[in-house]
This record gives sequence, C-alpha cells and structure tokens, in this order.
Amino acid sequence: MNTGLRSERLRDELDAVAWLADGMTIAIGEPAPMAMVRHIIRRGLRSLTVIAGGLHLDMLIAAGCVKKTISYYAGGGFGVPVAPAFRRAVERGEVAVWECEEGILTSGLEAAGKGLPFLPWRGGVGTSLPEVNPDLKLMRDPICGETLIAVPAIKPDVALLHAASSDVYGNVQHCGGPGWLDLFLARAAACTIVQVEKIIPNEEVRADPWATTIGRADMVVRMPYGAHPYYSRGYYLQDSALLKDYLAAAAPNDSVALKQFLDRYCREPATHGDYLERIGIKRLLALHEY
Amino acid sequence: MQGYCSVSELLACFLARDLNDGEELQVGIALPIPEAAVRLAHLMHGPNMELIFLGARMNVHHLERVPLPAFGWDRRVVRWAESFSDRGHRFDQVKDWHRRVFFIGGIQVDPFGNTNLIGVGSDYQRLKFRGPGSVGTPTLTTHVGRYYIVLNSHSPRLFVPKCDFVSTVGWGEGGADARTRLGLPGGGPKYCVTPLCIMDFSEDEKRLRLRSLHPGVSVDEVLRQTGFPLILPSVVPSTELPTAAELKVLRERVDWVGALR
Repeated sequence: MNTGLRSERLRDELDAVAWLADGMTIAIGEPAPMAMVRHIIRRGLRSLTVIAGGLHLDMLIAAGCVKKTISYYAGGGFGVPVAPAFRRAVERGEVAVWECEEGILTSGLEAAGKGLPFLPWRGGVGTSLPEVNPDLKLMRDPICGETLIAVPAIKPDVALLHAASSDVYGNVQHCGGPGWLDLFLARAAACTIVQVEKIIPNEEVRADPWATTIGRADMVVRMPYGAHPYYSRGYYLQDSALLKDYLAAAAPNDSVALKQFLDRYCREPATHGDYLERIGIKRLLALHEY
Repeated sequence: MQGYCSVSELLACFLARDLNDGEELQVGIALPIPEAAVRLAHLMHGPNMELIFLGARMNVHHLERVPLPAFGWDRRVVRWAESFSDRGHRFDQVKDWHRRVFFIGGIQVDPFGNTNLIGVGSDYQRLKFRGPGSVGTPTLTTHVGRYYIVLNSHSPRLFVPKCDFVSTVGWGEGGADARTRLGLPGGGPKYCVTPLCIMDFSEDEKRLRLRSLHPGVSVDEVLRQTGFPLILPSVVPSTELPTAAELKVLRERVDWVGALR
C-alpha cells in the first residue's frame, strides 16, 4: 500500500518471528541473535534446516527444531570439543549434516547472492567432503583443466542477525565489524531480519554511510541485550557462566536439566523483556564492556 | 624437564622458534599452544609478524603483554586489530596465503599427515563419534605456505593407518609431489607435534618421521602409542628445551594466566 510515506522496516519482535515457519532454511549470524533463537524454541518450530555453528545451533537441536544443519563447525567451546546435543543427534541419525567448511559455505552463499547455480572452490579437493556430501561435485574447470569443487548455491529463506544499531529503514551498522559470516548470509538470504541493540536516527546513518554494513534489511527488531548470553561488541561481553550452565545441562543423555534449561530461558519467557527480567539487571550490568 | 617447564610450554617454545619475522600467523579456535607460540615469537624475534586471531589482524609487538585471543571475540582483543578479514570477504585474497602460517588439530592423523575433524566410524550416516566439523581447515591448509599439526595427546586411536574421513589433505597418498598432483598450491604440513615428540615428514615419501623426543620419553613409548610404523632416524635427539629467556617472556608477557602450566 502506497501511503505516500517511506515505509519503516522496524517490527515488533513477535511480528518478526511470526514470519518464521516450520521447514524453513534459517541462517544464523554471529554473535547469534539469541532473542530470536529463543523465540524459535518457544514457538517449537520443526524440521528447520539451520546454517549455524555453536551453542545456539545446539540449543535448537536440543529443542527438537532441527532436521538438517549446514555446519562447518559445532564445537562446544570451554574445552568441550563437540557441542553435546549436536553430537548426540547426529550420531543417532536424528539430524542430518550437510558437511562443509568455511570456504565451501561462503562459496555456496556467494553463488546464491550472485544468482549463479554454483561457484567453484579449491579448498576440500582431496578430502572426504565431496564423498560425504554428494551435493558437492568434483569438476574439471573448463579454462585450465584443474580439479575443483562445484558448490551449489545455498539459498536461506531467512538470515537472522544481531547488530549494534539500525535506523527504522533497515540501514544496519555494526560496532567493531559484523560477524565473519553475516554479510555472506545477508547477501544470500531471501529475507534478512536483524535484531539490534538500539534504533538510531536516519540522520546518524547519513552522517556516516560507510559505516552501514547491511543497507536494506527487510526487518529490524529492537532487542537490547538480545545476543545474551553471547557478546555484543560495544555493549557487553559474553556471559560464559550461562553458556557453561547450558553445556552442563546438555552433556548427559536425555537430561531433565536440559529440558529445565530450555523451559526456563527459552519457552517460559513470552517476550525478550520477560527473558531479561529472568536474567536480572545485576547480571546484565556486570557484563558491560570496559 | 619436570619442574622446569610443562610439555605445553615446551611445544609453544619449539613452534615459536620455527616462525620467521614477517610472516602472517593465523590461529583458529581452541588451540592454546599455537596461540601462545605466535605471541611468543612475535615478542622474541618477530616485530614484523602479523597475528590473525579469528579474523582480526594485529601487530602488537609494542605491548608489554600480548592480548589473549581466549578473551573471546570482544573489543578487548578487537581493539588491537588493524584490519578484519571478517567484513564479508574472508576468502577473497587466498592467492597471497603462501605468506601465511596456520595450525590445526585433529581427531585422527594418518602416516602422510592427512587429518580428520569430521568423525570416527565406518558409516558416515552412523558415526561412532561425531567430530566438530572441518571449520576452515580444508581451505586454509590448501593454500597456506605451511602449517603445523598440533595435538594434545598421542595414542593409537589418534594416529591411525588410515583416517575414516579426511578433512585436510597433508601429503595425500605420499610422495614429494603428492600435493602438486592434487592441485593444492600450499606448502603442506611441516611438523606434527604431540606431548611425546616432534615429527616431521621424510623428503621423498612425505611420511611421518620421528624428529625429536621430549625429555623422559623413549622411542619405544612413541612407537607403542602410534598406530603405524614411524620412520626412525639413526639418532633421535632430544627436543630442545626452552631457554630461561623464552620462559620468562612466555610466562610474564604471553601466558600470564598459566594456561599452559
């Protein structure tokens, strides 16, 4: 509808996440937009294909949301070599892995962004990756005759990202740079939703357009402390204690503690504000960068 | 060595000595020994080294204490960066990675230095142990000038005649031209270091060869803990101990929290 006014892209958190649906391919940036990840778990979405690594992928798997993951790395951190729910679900055959690595993943995302069926990549030639992932095709390059891997376009339905700030028109600016994969994800995805620490005036964006990292996010959502328990550069540090609590809860098979963790932090709080109340102001303020 | 330094400190000092001024040293996640080694080399003899921690490229030679990447990806580390490879173009300049040095771990290593981060088991659909995944190691090891395999243990479970899955190609099927035949431009693995010993690769076959034993370790123990025959030189020297000066810098300016002790 043309109202004669420029449309704002700022959305209420519940409206934004209502757009996510079962079966989607969802790409998650870094730091993970945990407020939206928690909404996915609260809503109990199913059969997702998730492009992610780290403990947010693990929580989504633990909550039963994931059918398949496009993951280059699922370490647990804190000396835990493999994220526990990921490891368990994959060993049991409950979650499929589209085996890849960083260069292959970015090639597939770039192919999608550039509207190409595939892009060639060298990293992975000679490895088992094309054997365990039949979508990766060894090819003979028509220019020099070298053996390369044809990586098919990876097309996320949606990229979920966390950033420092945006104006109401979806001009997103990161503090200290975006997560390494974020811009690849934004370029490849059909829709980009960015949660931000704060909404800034359009004048502030225009004063420094080079600082704009994502120019046309489809939706922006104001989620202060929204990356918690991860960090948000320029705002707060990682809450390692909570991540360790998750690891401890997720480590044993079929643990009651894991269900309690997901209930307490993801399913029971109806909104991000409810979650922050549960975490508590003292704990949040103690995470401020200095 | 007992009471003088830990085996992790020994390895950090060994690796540091092998790094040259002017090189780009990239260290990924969860590798505390290389993290310390590159920072130690930078302070000891590398004013023109560039350290790359999780995409943040820095030269911190002027600092009294060199920041720990283990702080996490927050501004306490990022503030030292002079540029990021993480603004959506991480792999756009791999043509220059011959200047770069890299480090990897693994859950399996074969006689030619091929390694596995994917998983253990004969059936990919039903792995006995699901590994963390390949991270960026296939691309990095394809292109970098050289890399080091750094392991926290040394056992027949780790050193296997054949990896169940290969995530990084070391010397492939063996032979000095193994990588050329596969079209891999990088220089391949130089050393494989473990808590027991240092290994290199023979010039002709590019097969793992015992280079030196850490103090108190015997050849027999290494052979017993390796799931395939190693090439043995006629004389196996002892791994060079850190100097007092190296240990002082390592403990006071690099690893002041004692992560390697």
